[in-house]
Amino acid sequence: MKKTVPLIIVIVGGIVFLLWVFVPHKIMADDFYYQFYTPWSRAMAPFAMLLGVMSLSMMHNAKIKRRAPKWQFSYFFFAGFIVTSLAGFIGGTQKGGLYMWMFETMAMPMSATMFSLLAFYMASAAYKAFRARSVEATVLLLAAIVVMLAQVPLGVKISRHLPTISQWILDVPNLASKRGIMLGVGLGSVATTLKIMLGIERSYLGGGD
Amino acid sequence: MNIFERIQKLDRRWIYIVVALAIIIPLAIPFNSDNVTSPSTENLYQFIDSYAGRQDRAILLSFYHDASTMPELFPMEVAILRHCFERNVKVFMLTWFPQGAPIIDYAINTVKEEYPNIKSGVDYCNFGYIPAALAMPTILGMGDNIAAAVKTDAEGRKLENLEIIKGVNNYSEMNLVVEFSGSSAGVTWLYYARPKFGLNIGVGVTAVMAADEYPFLQSGQKIGMLAGLKGAAEYEKLVDVFAAYREPGSPITVTLDEDGNKIVPGRAFSSDILREESTKQLINITTQTVAKFSADEYSKFVGKYPEKAGIFEELKTVKGGQVEIDVTKVTEDQKEALGYTAMADLNRMTRNIIYKFKVARIGMNAQSVAHIMIILFIVLGNIGYFIQKARQARQ
Repeated sequence: MKKTVPLIIVIVGGIVFLLWVFVPHKIMADDFYYQFYTPWSRAMAPFAMLLGVMSLSMMHNAKIKRRAPKWQFSYFFFAGFIVTSLAGFIGGTQKGGLYMWMFETMAMPMSATMFSLLAFYMASAAYKAFRARSVEATVLLLAAIVVMLAQVPLGVKISRHLPTISQWILDVPNLASKRGIMLGVGLGSVATTLKIMLGIERSYLGGGD
Repeated sequence: MNIFERIQKLDRRWIYIVVALAIIIPLAIPFNSDNVTSPSTENLYQFIDSYAGRQDRAILLSFYHDASTMPELFPMEVAILRHCFERNVKVFMLTWFPQGAPIIDYAINTVKEEYPNIKSGVDYCNFGYIPAALAMPTILGMGDNIAAAVKTDAEGRKLENLEIIKGVNNYSEMNLVVEFSGSSAGVTWLYYARPKFGLNIGVGVTAVMAADEYPFLQSGQKIGMLAGLKGAAEYEKLVDVFAAYREPGSPITVTLDEDGNKIVPGRAFSSDILREESTKQLINITTQTVAKFSADEYSKFVGKYPEKAGIFEELKTVKGGQVEIDVTKVTEDQKEALGYTAMADLNRMTRNIIYKFKVARIGMNAQSVAHIMIILFIVLGNIGYFIQKARQARQ
């Protein structure tokens, strides 16, 4: 029962949406979508968010109780969650309020700092690992240097042809490889979707009864 | 250990210090540089610009990211908002991320400070945060009726009562969405809104994600892209050269002609203008304080404010046949006498770009030096590697 019901929901849901995409009839295009799907999805969305908050709280709560590794950081989750929620609910989210102040002075610089660390790791990795060990690696290295130079104003001063060469690299070899990867991913997605809809792939239901 | 072995085993902390200096110094000391615009940026700019002054057209900006990618994406958002405010393009905004909501407010506040005539609900409208779970019904619903799918804006006002929504019903009018994201930008719109309603999609992505977008750009499924900080810098430049450009004799805000037709300030995109030598004066990111006019331009400029001609006469100096006004020499009394509009117009004539509208270009200077440093590191690392390899082979 635990597996059959979710399986039926997934199969029926998949078929219905497949029909909705390909069948332009009023029953599918209007009645199903506007009368049924939209109100239901609006009703379900808050529950999904509530479920997320509950699940995260329970996980951190359990971590603190079990004194799991780095359990002290779970207090930061509760502190951040409660303070931010209260600031938003009580003071509002507009400029001048505590919520916006916390966003501008804490969330923004801290998140940006984490992301900007990438530059240091990339520079270090480029120095330590980017070697012309083979023909392929040499081609990659030259392409990287051309594109990196063409991206920046100083590179254009070195040669005015650099942007054209860089654009060609992005428009032709890069595009061809990306499209190949995307076609592969697309075909894989179709195959996986069919397997799920036909009940062959059931790993998403979880293990055990 | 010889020098080449030492180079190979260089402590990464030295690399970190060099990269930090390569970024900090150009940020602290800005210098003028030119960012060559790419076709994907120009396409997006031209598409948005084609809606200038039209009441029956609008664009939607989707802020699909959190604060971590703001250094790259926020300058794009500011530049596009500025373009819309300069050229009187109706703009809607939404986010599927809870963390995106304050970013929208922050972007609007940042740009709006310079445009006191721009009003919420008239020139722009923020739909606010819409949970990602509702993305599909919202995207599909807007194809039928925007006011029915979204219902209220972030301030709780009914959309159907707002002035901005008049003449904008669905994707036939709001025919462009630009999604900013650090991962998969524009995908949901591409799956649901483009095939069914023919919605045009543009994207603003971080530089590392830009390569993924080329297949969509080549197929025409996405009409344009801003790629990382470079894309933002290019867009900032286009706004300065075209949308924010004012002739000395032209009005600085939207005006109506004798027949009641709207005259939108700024000028249309042109590749020829981008190549002109005089364009370089419009994109200087160092502080500009002197407004320079030819005699004819000066009389046109002053002709717009005949009652304030006396103050301009007091301020002007003539150098080599050119009339110059240094805005740093305008006293508080003179500023008051000139009023907001004339003073703002005079500031525009200096072609000075305020900091928040050149952030990406200052960042690109830092990126220039950082890229050169990284390339030098790569070359140095490879030289050391090959010399060491040759020595080992000899031994």
